[in-house]
Amino acid sequence: MAGTHIIKSAGLSGISGFDVVVEVSITNGLPGFVIVGLPDNSVKESRERVRAAIKNIGLEFPMRRILVNLAPADTKKEGPIYDLPIAIGLLAASEQIGPVSEKSVFVGELSLDGFLRPVTGVLPMSLSACAGGADSLFIPEDSALEASIAEGLNVYPARHICDIIAHLRGEKPIEPAPPYKFDARENAGADFSEVRGQSAVKRAIEVAVGGAHNILLTGVAGGGKSMMARRIPSILPPMSMREMIESTAIHSAAGLTSKSAPLLTQRPFRAPHHTVSASGAAGGGRSPKPGEISLAHNGVLFLDEFPEFHRDVLETLRQPLEDGAITITRAAWTCTFPSRFMLVCAMNPCKCGWYGHPSGKCRCSEESVQSYARRISGPILDRIDIFAETPSLLYGDLAVASNGEPSAEIRRRVTAAQALQLDRQGTQNAHMTGAQIAEHCALDAECSKLMRVAYEKFSLSARAYNRILKVARTIADLAENPRIAAPHLAEAIRYRSSGLLDT
Amino acid sequence: MNEKYPIRSVSRNDPDYPRLLRLIQNPPKKLYYRGDISLAAMASVAVVGARKATDYGKWAAFKLANTLAEYGLAVVSGMAAGIDSEAHRGALAAGGKTVAVFGCGIDICYPTRNYRLMNEILENGLVISEFEPGTEPRDFTFPMRNRIISGLSVATAVVEAGLHSGSLITAERAAEQGRSVYAVPGNINRAMSFGCNKLIRDGAMPIVVFDDIVKDLKLVRGDTVERRAETLGAGERAVYAAVRRMGEMTVDELCAETGLPPQDINGIVTVLEMKGIVETAQGRVFVSG
Repeated sequence: MAGTHIIKSAGLSGISGFDVVVEVSITNGLPGFVIVGLPDNSVKESRERVRAAIKNIGLEFPMRRILVNLAPADTKKEGPIYDLPIAIGLLAASEQIGPVSEKSVFVGELSLDGFLRPVTGVLPMSLSACAGGADSLFIPEDSALEASIAEGLNVYPARHICDIIAHLRGEKPIEPAPPYKFDARENAGADFSEVRGQSAVKRAIEVAVGGAHNILLTGVAGGGKSMMARRIPSILPPMSMREMIESTAIHSAAGLTSKSAPLLTQRPFRAPHHTVSASGAAGGGRSPKPGEISLAHNGVLFLDEFPEFHRDVLETLRQPLEDGAITITRAAWTCTFPSRFMLVCAMNPCKCGWYGHPSGKCRCSEESVQSYARRISGPILDRIDIFAETPSLLYGDLAVASNGEPSAEIRRRVTAAQALQLDRQGTQNAHMTGAQIAEHCALDAECSKLMRVAYEKFSLSARAYNRILKVARTIADLAENPRIAAPHLAEAIRYRSSGLLDT
Repeated sequence: MNEKYPIRSVSRNDPDYPRLLRLIQNPPKKLYYRGDISLAAMASVAVVGARKATDYGKWAAFKLANTLAEYGLAVVSGMAAGIDSEAHRGALAAGGKTVAVFGCGIDICYPTRNYRLMNEILENGLVISEFEPGTEPRDFTFPMRNRIISGLSVATAVVEAGLHSGSLITAERAAEQGRSVYAVPGNINRAMSFGCNKLIRDGAMPIVVFDDIVKDLKLVRGDTVERRAETLGAGERAVYAAVRRMGEMTVDELCAETGLPPQDINGIVTVLEMKGIVETAQGRVFVSG
């Protein structure tokens, strides 16, 4: 008695899934169990888990020659996700269960007693399975919610392999998981109304978010830079379904989705520590894993203590800031991850953090203050549209400062402004091309005059000129004004880089 | 002809006759003018130079006149092509006053392509000549008017001049009249800089930075800040008044003080900064100077 059976499964490469076919063949000969098709160690260890699980549920593990082939044979397979398809294939090939439909996809890790453990990358794999014509997906219960985000697929959640066997034998069908219903939760967390004073910086942040502009906050230690930056999620516009799926796929590939939050419904806010490595930021690893830069896709990348980041980390930001994607090349693979994020940076004016504070606490020499600012390269500064300085506040200042506007109010304006931009040019103002700037940021006579004087007075560069135009467009959008007017432009000029960072 | 500015005249005994001009050796008996004669009493600096100016010369003339005007000085020149025209434009761009001295009757626009510039000068300044209306420009009329250009001014600056440039005559007249002479230095291999460099060798003061003249004249910037503040709009005035009273302020304080939202304050501060009235650093706003 010899048999061969084919089971469909899926794999993950970068942030996209691909179809995998698990072929199980049982032949006469010396007992053995071989897995071929570029399996990594965790796949090879499937042998032991599958053997133990099948024995422990009281079924027969065939004492013959077993060959498992994972096709396509030229793509590396990794992770324990093939435990379930191999086990089902074995049972089908040894005719302990009937033939399995080719439209069913199996993914899951087995424990030794046959229970199913959750796996990572479920959303991209179910999306690709769906695209590949599959109609049902058998998956560990804890991963089922995420899988059900993919439309048009019957998702069968299972706690134990016996549930699936019973379903396939027609003894006890599994109830398919209901299609995912996401609840658009309001942005939770810290609110801008809790920030006292700092109205100029709050306004700068509103403008930045209003056009997805990158922003750099400078100011003495304890001035409230990080505190305000961490409130940015509360004013980000809601995500579209497409953005949610994009971001969830990236998080899923990085293993960051959970049963309780299978779908990212709020824009990601990533704040890596300044000791992060270049591959931690950009992505990498033995097999392609998205890094912080990609995890921030459709959201915010917040870099606190900006000059303290390793230079190579800062330089990896250049491509994503320009293209909205990052391409990583290693010896074994090349992978492109989407990474269109809004960059928010915060920095102290000097090493000790007190430069310019009225108390005169700063211990830095003028020379070291300058070199601190110079750590940020010109090409990076060129990609920052808005610069804001938090004033150092003395106790007296705090006493007079009033509480601010609630985030919901700011969010309403920001959302309206971004909607206007997407309607007009299909992208947020920060991402406008040269041609779009020329078309949508035309200046009238009064503005041209203002711009010319500013250009002379502040010796602006051509790049700065374009940045000011884009920011002015956003300010006009926030005011729901079809034309850029002089007050908008004057305010935009306020947010140019100045002082130590002026290059 | 622009009927808004009729031709008038003033004679040497008139109180309106330019005070400094009266002090030179051979002041004109009668001056014809169009525009605001009171400008002739303002402290002024002559900015002159070659007609066939280089881009560098034009830039320097514009910038120099601009700086002088920012400090509240009137800029005197001859409305010739090249440096003279740029000097007038620089002063006008700063919202300053400028005086054009013609080498022909003031009913004649010479060169004719400066017609628009002449009208702008009339709006914000004064056109003056010692020649009867209708007098055609002649070779000898220009050297004659050069003594008026230098005579009206406390100092004369030559921006660019070739070897035989008429501007060198203006400089010579200024020296004879006991007024300071400045020259903008230029490259040694450039014909248009030769005259200026020669002036420097002969004792004219080189203009190393554009503020040199105003520094020598001991003009205090604070005075001009006050003066500039007179031309501000309501919001700008409120912000300026608040910053001036406190010395330095944050935007929060300005919002509380003026009742304006931060976006308006941010715009106003930029405009005030461009006008040279306030400066900003570390999120605070200071009075300039």
